[in-house]
Amino acid sequence: MPEPDPRIDDFQDMFENAPCGYITLQTNGRVARVNKTLLGWTGHAADEMIGKRFSDFVNMAGRIYYETHIAPLLRMQGFFNEFAIEMVTAAGEPVQMICNALEGRDAAGKPLFTRLALLKATDRRRYEQELLAAREAAKTSLASERETSELREQFIAVLGHDLRNPLASISAGARILGRDAKTDKQHQVVAMLQTTVMRMAELIDNVLDFARGRLGGGITLDRDARRPLEPVLHQVIDELRLSSPGRQIEAEYAIDGPVDCDRTRIGQLASNLVGNALSHGASNEPVRVRAETQGGLFKLSVANGGDPIPEAAIDKLFEPFFRGEVRASRQGLGLGLHIAAQIAKAHDGALTATSNTEETKFTFVMPLR
Amino acid sequence: MMGVIERNNVHVRGSGEHAMMFAHGFGCDQNMWRFVEPAFKAEFKTVLFDHVGAGGSDLKAYDKAKYSKLAGYAEDVVEVGRELGLQDAIFVGHSVSCMIGALAVKKSSGMFGKLVMVGPSARYIDDGDYVGGFSEKQIEELLQFLESNHMGWSTQMAPAIMGNPDRPELGAELTNSFCRTDPEIAKAFARVTFTSDNRGDLATVDIPTLILQCSEDIIASKEVGEFVHRGIPNSEMIILEATGHCPNLSAPDEVIAAMRTFV
Repeated sequence: MPEPDPRIDDFQDMFENAPCGYITLQTNGRVARVNKTLLGWTGHAADEMIGKRFSDFVNMAGRIYYETHIAPLLRMQGFFNEFAIEMVTAAGEPVQMICNALEGRDAAGKPLFTRLALLKATDRRRYEQELLAAREAAKTSLASERETSELREQFIAVLGHDLRNPLASISAGARILGRDAKTDKQHQVVAMLQTTVMRMAELIDNVLDFARGRLGGGITLDRDARRPLEPVLHQVIDELRLSSPGRQIEAEYAIDGPVDCDRTRIGQLASNLVGNALSHGASNEPVRVRAETQGGLFKLSVANGGDPIPEAAIDKLFEPFFRGEVRASRQGLGLGLHIAAQIAKAHDGALTATSNTEETKFTFVMPLR
Repeated sequence: MMGVIERNNVHVRGSGEHAMMFAHGFGCDQNMWRFVEPAFKAEFKTVLFDHVGAGGSDLKAYDKAKYSKLAGYAEDVVEVGRELGLQDAIFVGHSVSCMIGALAVKKSSGMFGKLVMVGPSARYIDDGDYVGGFSEKQIEELLQFLESNHMGWSTQMAPAIMGNPDRPELGAELTNSFCRTDPEIAKAFARVTFTSDNRGDLATVDIPTLILQCSEDIIASKEVGEFVHRGIPNSEMIILEATGHCPNLSAPDEVIAAMRTFV
């Protein structure tokens, strides 16, 4: 074993060459002692520092901070740990430091001196400043996002209003024409106009719902368990029957209790599902709708015949803008199923699809509550 | 609405015909007076409080617009004085609270009969021939710098401390147990303090005023103190031997002795 180096026990050496800076201040804030490490970091000579105020070697912000925060706290609690301060080197360069300060007191609590331990913290301060800058940037971008989002909300509301108004005029016009329609051809045209208005209205609803869900509050519900759901479903299916003459829609109802839901939204969900079945199902087979309450759940299923949906496509059905192969006249935006799924989700329920050569079936299930 | 007593964390102690109200400056709270206030308890009803945003005040009462001017703080002083029914009281302000006191005196005739200013400055930033001691750039640097020092404040701990002002042990694990402030509010208070200009308000102080000036104060130099002295008609100035900006902590005996000659 070699002899231990004598400097290990040399406290003078430990003070002078410690891996941190030491300063001792008199009660008037003037430097009494300073170690070599700090002199090395700052480039000052010992006799330049001794007798001067510590704050003379600190930048202006640090001086104010020392006088308004550190000095009073040292008097109150006897210490102040982990404060950042910037010293200035002999060459006028800043050196960032982290500092702990401790007040030496006599038995009566009178201050005798203050000791400071300083660690160079240039990298850490740079890192902190980057974090602060990032936080500031995040705050700013969040504020601007909010503003944009509010503008979009307003835009959606105005757009919805402006799109529906002309549609209402067309609908009223078609109704007036319908009263005086004489020939079959005229009746057909009027019926077609009404169907188109209805489809257009659905598209607008879907687009607006989608925009809201994506840009703002999501789908909001107006739940009401007291009023019956069945008449709403009747009406939706009747309307679809009218707009798809020649197609058969079989509906079965077994709702024997209240369903705590937003009836308009569930009507919209049913309309989207049945509309989808009419567009994509075989035209010579009926669309089968079944609504029931069972085991604490409300279930609505819509089934149609025809070619099955390829397995790869099943997963994508509920994504926005997904469009299957369909004849151009029924081509939509691909939002109907997406919104139906969103409505299901808002009701704490789920919308699923199964498809085989026998039938394609969409099933919505939600808790009755 | 919360009462002004809770809002400003007001503590009334002592006994006496006249009241002495102590106001702290930027950087701390009513703890600033812990070595001075006890000396006056026997003869005066002493009133201690925290400005909104500091110490144990109600942070929810912090209103950016109101407290963007010293007048907002002065309003609070007058409200507290009214609530306590102060008449002919002595207002003792430290640092920026000297000017808050000057504004409060103007707004509340009869409430204060004497004014003590410890380390006052009517304006901190130099302006033409006027020497305040700081340049605009230096004050901007201070505001930046304040972000690097959170005074033992962390968002995580804040609710525990603020919600339980009577249980300081909740904050005991933090680095500093006095003068904690929300850094955002501290920055705003620093801004209103160091950009204030109350040179025009000095002449309106119409009550006897004592100015206590430290020998070596880099925040409020002797020149700055003399400017205040010249500006307030009925004022006297005592130069303390104490150095630094907080003689109320570093040299309480000297401050107490000087105040006794006046009150």
